[in-house]
Order: sequence, then structure tokens, then C-alpha cells
Amino acid sequence: MTGWLSGKSVRVEGASPAIMSALTSQGATPVAEGDCDIWVHVAQPPVVKPAHELSHAEWRASLDAGLDRCFLGAQDFANQCRTRGQGGTVLFVGAPEQALGADQAAAAGALGNLTKTLGVEWARDGIRVNSILTCETGETLGNLAAYLVSDYAAYVTGAVMGVDIDD
Amino acid sequence: MGLAMAKAFAQGGARVAVMGRNLERAQDGAARIAALGVQTHAISCDVRQPDAVAAAFDEAEKELGPIHLLANNAGANFPVLAEDISANAWNAVTRIAIDGTFLCSAEFVRRRIACGEGGAIINNSAQYIWTGFPGDAHSAAAKTAQATMTKKLAAEWAFYGIRVNAIAAGFFPHETSTAGQRDGGIEPLQNMIPAGRTGSIWEFGWLSAMICTPMFGAMTGQVIVQDGGESLRRSLMMPDFVPPRERADGPWGWQ
Repeated sequence: MTGWLSGKSVRVEGASPAIMSALTSQGATPVAEGDCDIWVHVAQPPVVKPAHELSHAEWRASLDAGLDRCFLGAQDFANQCRTRGQGGTVLFVGAPEQALGADQAAAAGALGNLTKTLGVEWARDGIRVNSILTCETGETLGNLAAYLVSDYAAYVTGAVMGVDIDD
Repeated sequence: MGLAMAKAFAQGGARVAVMGRNLERAQDGAARIAALGVQTHAISCDVRQPDAVAAAFDEAEKELGPIHLLANNAGANFPVLAEDISANAWNAVTRIAIDGTFLCSAEFVRRRIACGEGGAIINNSAQYIWTGFPGDAHSAAAKTAQATMTKKLAAEWAFYGIRVNAIAAGFFPHETSTAGQRDGGIEPLQNMIPAGRTGSIWEFGWLSAMICTPMFGAMTGQVIVQDGGESLRRSLMMPDFVPPRERADGPWGWQ
């Protein structure tokens, strides 16, 4: 069960050792910048604080990392795909809606519906958009990510999923 | 769709027992799966009857050994106006999918627990479980029950190492699907779907079997939509609403 991503280039923004390991072992080539077939955004979970104790700067930082950066990065990637005349795949990875604080609830909820929206809006461009919202960081997360960005998942778009029962 | 699931399990090397109400059709399916080089066994079973389910598992385990994985695919579906659904039709569609999924899952898990081993279940749900399906009320109810059950059973059985997931499947034309058999075939359906095409039955089979492998050993309680964006196509700009009553013809008409 290897070679799902042979010949594909991938740009991963944010760190997830499990995802990077699964993508490369399936044959994807990581690139730091420029054109690529796959764009993965991994948002680091914000520190949990009660809503009434979040400073505006902390709130903004969470929404910037968990939502704004996802949208702007996907937009850049999709524009590159259209310029090249190629399809592509976007995958957003982050924490579940209710697992952390109100900042994450807002960001993940927005990201989920953004996923559904962009998945449909860009479908005829051959660009798929999916999300994994989970606290899992292990091999299953990596393998699920590798599946979703592969051509085996060509009919999966606009899908928001978790990994375990707490997601 | 069950055949596609079974073929994908066979591609991964699994021995496959095929349960169906009609033994001849189960045997036909089993023969096609056996052609992939794995051991198979066909069993006649009405999944609405707990005794029949237990007997079918006995027979399957006698022929093939312990059952490690379960795919719940049994279901029926046909377009019909809600006011025209007979009690028999309602019972057939809902009980095959809801009772059948529950009874087979519970029987499977009792045996897994008795072995002291984990296992995995995959359920075939549908892309219309979040929106309803006007003109197909029995299936709308049945398929959502499977998805909500998936999450609860996953939570209850996580302790035993049993994983339960579902696919909210879009339209994957196959030999026995309703819409593909109509005049014009599947062509009129392609344009309705954001992806611009219906699904390939292989794509459904692969995902079903893959979720059950150890590669996805931490995954449970998930309902994954695989529909080319079909269930999400609604927006503020929509064609005029056509009530099911006025949709006698067309790819999903009731007449």
C-alpha cells in the first residue's frame, strides 16, 4: 500500500511529523515554495484560556492562524493551480471545534464551513478541499491525510472529518 | 455497492463471506469475488431477524474462520412520494438498514469480545443524511439512523478495540442502482454534481476497505462524506424548487 502520491509535489505549512512522514513515504516530494500539486495547512492548537480572559491579541492570533491564514493560503494555491491549468488538493488540519477554547470554536467552525464552500466553489477547477479536525497526532492522522490528498480520494471534496470519537 | 466493498476487501487479501436475502445473488457475488483469488462463502440471510443473523455468522465462521471485519451494506431504496409509502415499503427500507445494521453489528461485536480481540465495522450511509431527501423519505430516515448509530456504537465499543465508521456515499452508478437504469442513463446526473461526474464504484470500495485496515487504527466514530460535493451544492442562487409530486420523471423520478 505505497505510492499513492508518486509524482506529486506537496507544500506543508505548519508542523506535523506524522503527516509529513506519511506523505513522503507515499512518494510525495515536499517543496518549500512555488508551484505544487498539494497544499496542506496544519494549524497549531492555541493555548486554552477562558473566553473572558482572552486578550484581543490572543483572540486575533488564534483566528489568524486557524482561519485567515488557511483561507489566504488556499486562495494563493488555487490561483497557482489555475495559472498552471492544473487541478490540486487542499487539506486543512486543526483541532476539533469544541476541544479547546472559544477562539478555537470560532476558528474551527468557520474553517469547516469554508471547507464545504471552497470544495464546491472550486470543484470544476479540479481543486478539492477537505479538513481533518482532530487532537490525534499519530499514524492514522498521517495515513488519512495521505489518502485525502491522493487521487484515490478524487470523489471526496468538501468533507470535514475527525479521527477519534472525541473529535 | 456491497460487491465493490467486498472486492476491495478481497484485493487487500481478506476472505469474504457474502450475506444476502437471495442465495443465488449472494453466490453470484461470491463467485465474482473469488475470481480475485480469495476464499469466499455465500449465505442466505434476512438481516432483520436476529436468529438468522446469528446463524449466518455461525456458518461464516465455520467456513472461513473468525470474522474480523464487518461491512453493513444491506439496504433498499426507491423514489416514492411520502403519502404513497405503504407500511410494508416503510418497514422494508427502514428495518433492513436500521435493524439490519444494528443486529449484524451487535452479533459481530459479541463474537469479537468473546475472542478478546478488536475489529472494525464500516457502514454504507448516504450523502442526503443531513438534508433530508424529499421523494425518498424512508431512505432518508434509514440512512441517518445508520450514521447516528455509527457514532454511538463507536463510543460504546472503543473499550473493546472495535472501530465503527460510515461513508456518506454519493451516487456511484452500478448494475442495480435505480437512477442509472433510466432513459438517458447517468448523463443528466453528471451536471448536477460539483465534481462534474458521478462516482466510480471502486472509489467507494477502496475507502470502505481502507478504513478497516490497521493504517486507520485510531479512526472511529467518523462519517465521511464521499459525494463529489453533491450534498453541498445548495446556495442562495438556486433553480426554482420542484416538489417531489411534480417530479414523476427524470433521473430520480418516482413514476
